[in-house]
Amino acid sequence: MSEKTPESNIPPRAPLTLQEHRAATDLCLQTGILLMQHGVESAFVESITRRTGFALELDRVDVAIMANAITVTSYAGPHSMTRVRRNEDRGINMHVAMEVQRAALAFESGEIDRAEFEKCVRSVKAFRYPRWLVVLAIGLSCACFARLAGADWTGCVFAFAASAAAMVARQVFAHFHFNPIVGFFAAAFVATSICAQALLQSIGTTPRLAMAASVLLLVPGFPLINGVSDMVKGYVNTGISRIALAMLMALATCAGIVLAMSAWGTWGWLS
Amino acid sequence: MSNVEILPLLLDLLQDMALAAVPAAGFAMVFNVPVRVLKYCALFGALAHGMRFLMMRAGMPIEWGTLIAATAVSFAGVWLARRLRAHPKAFTVAAMIPMIPGVSFFTTIIALHQLGTRGFDAELFSVALTNGLRTFFIIGAIAIGLAMPGLLLYRRRPVV
Repeated sequence: MSEKTPESNIPPRAPLTLQEHRAATDLCLQTGILLMQHGVESAFVESITRRTGFALELDRVDVAIMANAITVTSYAGPHSMTRVRRNEDRGINMHVAMEVQRAALAFESGEIDRAEFEKCVRSVKAFRYPRWLVVLAIGLSCACFARLAGADWTGCVFAFAASAAAMVARQVFAHFHFNPIVGFFAAAFVATSICAQALLQSIGTTPRLAMAASVLLLVPGFPLINGVSDMVKGYVNTGISRIALAMLMALATCAGIVLAMSAWGTWGWLS
Repeated sequence: MSNVEILPLLLDLLQDMALAAVPAAGFAMVFNVPVRVLKYCALFGALAHGMRFLMMRAGMPIEWGTLIAATAVSFAGVWLARRLRAHPKAFTVAAMIPMIPGVSFFTTIIALHQLGTRGFDAELFSVALTNGLRTFFIIGAIAIGLAMPGLLLYRRRPVV
């Protein structure tokens, strides 16, 4: 293969051995899969994976992204190698995504060497906010949503309590490795049940707004936006699967809302 | 416009921006955005929602307001992305969360469910259709607004 750069003073590098080729391909895959697992859009996964491959002295890298797998074919001299890795969704984690991106970009521009890059990619630890802090933040967020919609202070307090309880439910279900669909259903049921009490006892003037705001933590905003972005950038396959999954989550949430409203005999939506 | 009209508008705008900043940062924490980037999520969330608030006050339809606000934030996100050396999506998506029409989204599904159980009803159908279309267009506007730098400026080269 000819050099990618026109400068002729770069000595032609030795062709990769099979072990080196395999290791480089594997590192490419690891970079790509980490980004994919933590909710990065497909266009960026492909571009970072390919650029990592070039930085690892591969001649050419082709990346095919599917909904739950990534395929990398790498070329080194006369040889090529194709690897597939299954993608298990680890939940959205922008911290991991940013760490991997920064390492890949720094490696590409030569700021860190390969060993450092490999260490970073292999040992990146997912940072998570403490659960109680997330519960508090989500409660406040939904109270703000209620206020934005015009709820009174009582409504905001109910939205806070209901969404915080829903977030706890969601975390508990996630902790026991339930499918997120089950967790969303239960969380919506909890939030709507709490707000239904405000509606039943006629506490405050805007219990309906509180009920609507208290389930907003369950809107699958990230997959929806990522899904449309994927499709805009030509990754229709992954886009459709992201949106389909988001729709399922929303359906589960609405099932929880409707069940809670039927159970308490009070209808807070659509009236 | 006289001062008498501007002051209440300004107060409304400030309240709107403050109320949008909290969910932007709150949801950023669910997405595990690093601590030092959280403040930008809150800032961008407030800017986007505030811009849309002003444009809607000026009589612009919500979809177009969302598109312009999302575009503005995504260009600001490109500037920040180059400083942080990370993809702008890592923090701009959280900033868009306050603009997502979650209530319309759930209203659509609940109305569709009610159409299934109660049978066809013109009013219910109209609720489902209006809310569904609003959700569809606003989410489309957000996603396309966020893709704007790539569509307009960074056509053949990466943002970071």
